[in-house]
Amino acid sequence: MTTKSTLPSRGMRVFFLLCALAMIWPGALLANRIEPMVMGLPFFMFWYIAWVFAMFVGLVICYRRDSAEEVDDE
Amino acid sequence: MNDSLLITVMTFGYLLIVLLVGLRARRGQSSSLEGYVAGGRHMGLLVLFFILGAEIFSAFAFLGAPGWAYSKGAPALYIIAYLALAVLVWWVIAPLISRLGRRHGFLTQAEFLSACYPTRGNVLGLLIGIISVLAMIPYLTIQIAGAGMLFEAATSGTIPFWLGSLVACGVVAAYVYASGLQGIGWTNLLQGVMMIVIAWVLGLTTADQFFGGVGEMFREIQRQAPEYLTMPGSQGMGWGAFSTAILISALGCVMWPHIFMKFYSARSERTLKRVFVLYPLYSYLLVPLLIIGFAGIVVLKDNPLDSPDQVLLSLVVGMADFPAWLIGLALSGALAAAMSTAANLAHTSATILVRDIGQHLPAWRQLPDQRALKLTRLGVIVISLAAYLLALANPGSLVALLLGAYGIVVQLLPMLLGALFWHRASRSAAFTGLAVGAGLTLFFQFGGNAPFGWNAGFCGLLVNAAIFVAMSLTARQASSHTPAEALTTRA
Repeated sequence: MTTKSTLPSRGMRVFFLLCALAMIWPGALLANRIEPMVMGLPFFMFWYIAWVFAMFVGLVICYRRDSAEEVDDE
Repeated sequence: MNDSLLITVMTFGYLLIVLLVGLRARRGQSSSLEGYVAGGRHMGLLVLFFILGAEIFSAFAFLGAPGWAYSKGAPALYIIAYLALAVLVWWVIAPLISRLGRRHGFLTQAEFLSACYPTRGNVLGLLIGIISVLAMIPYLTIQIAGAGMLFEAATSGTIPFWLGSLVACGVVAAYVYASGLQGIGWTNLLQGVMMIVIAWVLGLTTADQFFGGVGEMFREIQRQAPEYLTMPGSQGMGWGAFSTAILISALGCVMWPHIFMKFYSARSERTLKRVFVLYPLYSYLLVPLLIIGFAGIVVLKDNPLDSPDQVLLSLVVGMADFPAWLIGLALSGALAAAMSTAANLAHTSATILVRDIGQHLPAWRQLPDQRALKLTRLGVIVISLAAYLLALANPGSLVALLLGAYGIVVQLLPMLLGALFWHRASRSAAFTGLAVGAGLTLFFQFGGNAPFGWNAGFCGLLVNAAIFVAMSLTARQASSHTPAEALTTRA
């Protein structure tokens, strides 16, 4: 079997771990406040929206790296 | 035309379009079981994205999620967090599942796991099959009941609960029966777009109508009930419960059979990855729906609702001064959420019923492809009917059932990860962990109190994983292959 790893690179793993810690615990502790409101949203809510976007960016980077490595996937 | 009539006509019009799209998808489809169940393993980016979206965004998105924001406040954000984090698990696992499925012809989750951990008479496959169906039928029931409830509320009772749920269930059963995964794909695309547009329109107009904007709304909540805007929310959900709810949902997500099985249907690994890259953005769909729930905190302050799940309906249909056509659209959007999930659940349950459970009947062994296809389609009708009858018998709270079901299904995760990544993964260790984990989860869910207020399923998962790892390490024979690799070397 071609055991091509599906794991992201080490740097990206650290990044995603950071995302998880930010959204679960203890990152969310720091963000547990109403002020400053951003885009009309309480800070705690904005925090989640921002980290979701960070994850999206992280996945784009992973995807681009993977596609650069493998040309003959399709 | 009076308002409820207009709403009814609009909604039926929408359902008719969904039905036509679903039936049309049948064209040009190969009539094999693989075609019906997995779209011939050839589903592309757009359709797969909306299928996976539809599977997550169910009636819960329009009922339960605003209900959480309304009754608890900030803890409702756990949903956004877990949806994004779930993608990480998919990213690592799904390409491998897709690859192995293509190579070995797997169509269900049980087939994969029982091939990695063979048992005499395939007891494991049967067990997983039964548990999956037991978990999915209540989930399907919730969707159908949600559809009935939405219909009844939005038409002010013109369409009673029994009829609304029957119509929604009937439309879904018809196109799933006729077109299989292709039908689900194209209707989910239509319903997904509908859901996103309507959620945002409703969220923004609701905040605008009652408060003059989203920012003003949150300012008002800050003045009147600031405890809703931060943890632990108004009912005191602790960090332990919050964090473990996110973790269990993010991890458990991949184990839902209807999600897992879609990994088989992808055209390529690259398609899967593209879907996953975009997927976190799907969770933004919840933002406007949570806003509606938050609006309820102030708007309904003087007469709180008995059932928080009704908050969106109460505001949009009852209190806001919305024109009838907007309520008609809202109903269609919410129905879209319920029905698009229902279609996947009925389709997956029927497949499991025939492939994993049915094959244990002596008469069904070695079924020719066409017979199996026929039975699977029949299964769609049977399952839909069963769920409809259960819906009439009135299920309990949406969220409690959803979290409870997640907790049990997720107990298969350690053995799945072991099969894919760990050459020491031992079969007996996997089974012991599974049994103890499932038992513990059920106990914490329905009897004892979980330690630290943690999520019941999460506690089960920790113990399950610990037993699995410890027993595997002490097992004598160590293989140089993971159970999944061993499949290929054996073949």
